[in-house]
Amino acid sequence: MSRLSMTRIMRRSVMGMMLAGAAALSFAGASSEAEAFTLKGKPKIAFIYAATARDGGWNEAIDNARQDVEKELGVKIAVSESIPEETTAVMNAIDLYVKRGFNIIVTTSYGYSDGALEAAKKYPDVAFLGASQITNDKNLESFYARTYQGWYLAGMAAGGVTKSHKLGMLAGFPAGVVNWDINAFTLGARSIDPSAETIVIYTNSWWDPVKEGQVAEAMLDQGADVIANNLSSTAPYTAAEKRGAWSVGFQLDQSAAAPNGHLTSVLFQWQNYLIPTIKNIIAGTWEPQEYGALVGMDQHVVSLSPLSAKIPAEVKAKIEKTEAEMVAGTFSPYTGPVKKQDGSIAVPEGQTIDDEGLWNMDYLVEGSIGTVPAAQ
Amino acid sequence: MELFLTGWLTSLPAFAMPLLLAAVGLILSERAGVLNMGAEGYMAMGAMTGAVVTLTAGNPWIGVGAAILAGAALAGLFAIATVVFRADQILAGLATVALGGGITAVIGRPYLHKTFTGLPRLDPGALADLPLVGGLLFRQDLLAYLGLALVLLLWWGLRATRTGLKLRAVGEDPATADVAGVDVQLYQAGAVLACGALCGLAGAYLSIVSSNVWVEGMVNGRGWIALALVIFARWNPARAILGAVIFGGADAALPRLLALGAQVPTYLLSTLPYLLTILVLVLAALGGRRKDAEPRSLGLAYIRQDRR
Repeated sequence: MSRLSMTRIMRRSVMGMMLAGAAALSFAGASSEAEAFTLKGKPKIAFIYAATARDGGWNEAIDNARQDVEKELGVKIAVSESIPEETTAVMNAIDLYVKRGFNIIVTTSYGYSDGALEAAKKYPDVAFLGASQITNDKNLESFYARTYQGWYLAGMAAGGVTKSHKLGMLAGFPAGVVNWDINAFTLGARSIDPSAETIVIYTNSWWDPVKEGQVAEAMLDQGADVIANNLSSTAPYTAAEKRGAWSVGFQLDQSAAAPNGHLTSVLFQWQNYLIPTIKNIIAGTWEPQEYGALVGMDQHVVSLSPLSAKIPAEVKAKIEKTEAEMVAGTFSPYTGPVKKQDGSIAVPEGQTIDDEGLWNMDYLVEGSIGTVPAAQ
Repeated sequence: MELFLTGWLTSLPAFAMPLLLAAVGLILSERAGVLNMGAEGYMAMGAMTGAVVTLTAGNPWIGVGAAILAGAALAGLFAIATVVFRADQILAGLATVALGGGITAVIGRPYLHKTFTGLPRLDPGALADLPLVGGLLFRQDLLAYLGLALVLLLWWGLRATRTGLKLRAVGEDPATADVAGVDVQLYQAGAVLACGALCGLAGAYLSIVSSNVWVEGMVNGRGWIALALVIFARWNPARAILGAVIFGGADAALPRLLALGAQVPTYLLSTLPYLLTILVLVLAALGGRRKDAEPRSLGLAYIRQDRR
């Protein structure tokens, strides 16, 4: 297993603990009275990635947003790629940037959490933002997106086209942030087609297109006619396209890999978080949130790529209506009653799951075929 | 049940062929006495080059050819280090893996995640719909048939031809082979290059046949499993077929079982190749058999002046 995949496991799998960790650390770190951060000197921005920028998924989505920030602010942003997810390595990179006068640093991997906190304490005059990280301080804010909102809408599209009432979804590792996507997809599908079921398979790797293609084949052989992919490789879309099945993508618009059958992709629009946040930092009005920023459709950080023209019009209308409600903040996929696979109640009627419940999601909902592997 | 078995058997070559081709390459190298740890690197070269050339040339067969050459080219560097300059084979092998990973990451970068059309798949209609084995036998990519034929040819060549005999002699006792007029270095270099070529082909199978895309790190440890497979097969290509079916079969069964919603010990299944290899090592040690077993001069550089 490569270093990259190991670190990605760590990044995602431990994120379920984000809330608890964030709470403990930020009580230790941030002062209880919020005060705005003041940037000294002209803004000089740097991004630090754990993999290559063009990785077909996570970093590529952030790097696209970086280019938008450049255009919007008219600045040149420095980039470091493939910096190992170790505190010493990321600290070295940050040290070099700060020495050269950089004062806004964005790190983009879970494994940088400790390093970013250390750096934030060492350099109180530098602003730090950390994607999918778990540490916060008075000059450090971690951020992640409510991806489940997009997956619910994608599930509605899948429910609208399936004829076999069977869907398949590939995922990496059973972490809270992965499970909330899977369950939202199933809930969205069943809101359109109540008899729809989702075959859920965790591949236990982030980068193995051969295995991912074969997992998709296995789902198709079991009768699934929509393949949704929570991972970055294109192999599942290729497999679905060859068999004339539908597909749903993630992170970037994946329609090029399956021009006929691609329904939509759930997209990150990080620029809608990064541009206003960095503008606030420059303006001196930035107050990092104590528990980090969990941003979603209401801030337009999660969205869908254009819906396939093959989705029935009435389903399309329903998707657009639900999307509008999510943007307005009046609808959550996790408003009860939500039942677990075994029929027990996950979210009681009339209640909506809170963020802690989201991070700690370790179950699949009713209508899922498959199991969450034993906790790691 | 029949649906499960048919699907499982049909998907078996996708998992087994890359392991088999790489393992047989390693067997050639090791039967000539060169311990070759570089499979993971050669396979990465093959997978990346196969995808990049297919994307640029538009023809997957040219991609397969380029993948074979790329694997052999990296093995050429390894041969220069170990056969010509007699460097430590284990260290040189590990360096080769790192080199393969680095080269593929840099050259393959502009081609990451770009999908292409792979090799044609055989589809003789009615034959392929035979129960159970129809898909396995008749609905595979052409490269699966060619690969199996190549493996059988090499198995026969190693045991029944004069060249095969000389190659084995070099791995058993290079000094004696040298006295008998066998060019030790030529045979070792040839075996290492053939190993690289076969591993390159295995890599092409991953990118051109199975996934139609290049992703950095997509070999994902298969080179190491092939190395375990060599020991499992006791350096015999025919037994490597059996091993590849068992190792690949376990991998192929996992998604099929999960798609049925079955409770499967996922982590236990993924350690199966290693458990089986240890078991075979223990059984071989207990049985004390030497036939077809580890070449006696494996891993030792041969220098003529150093005759014992």
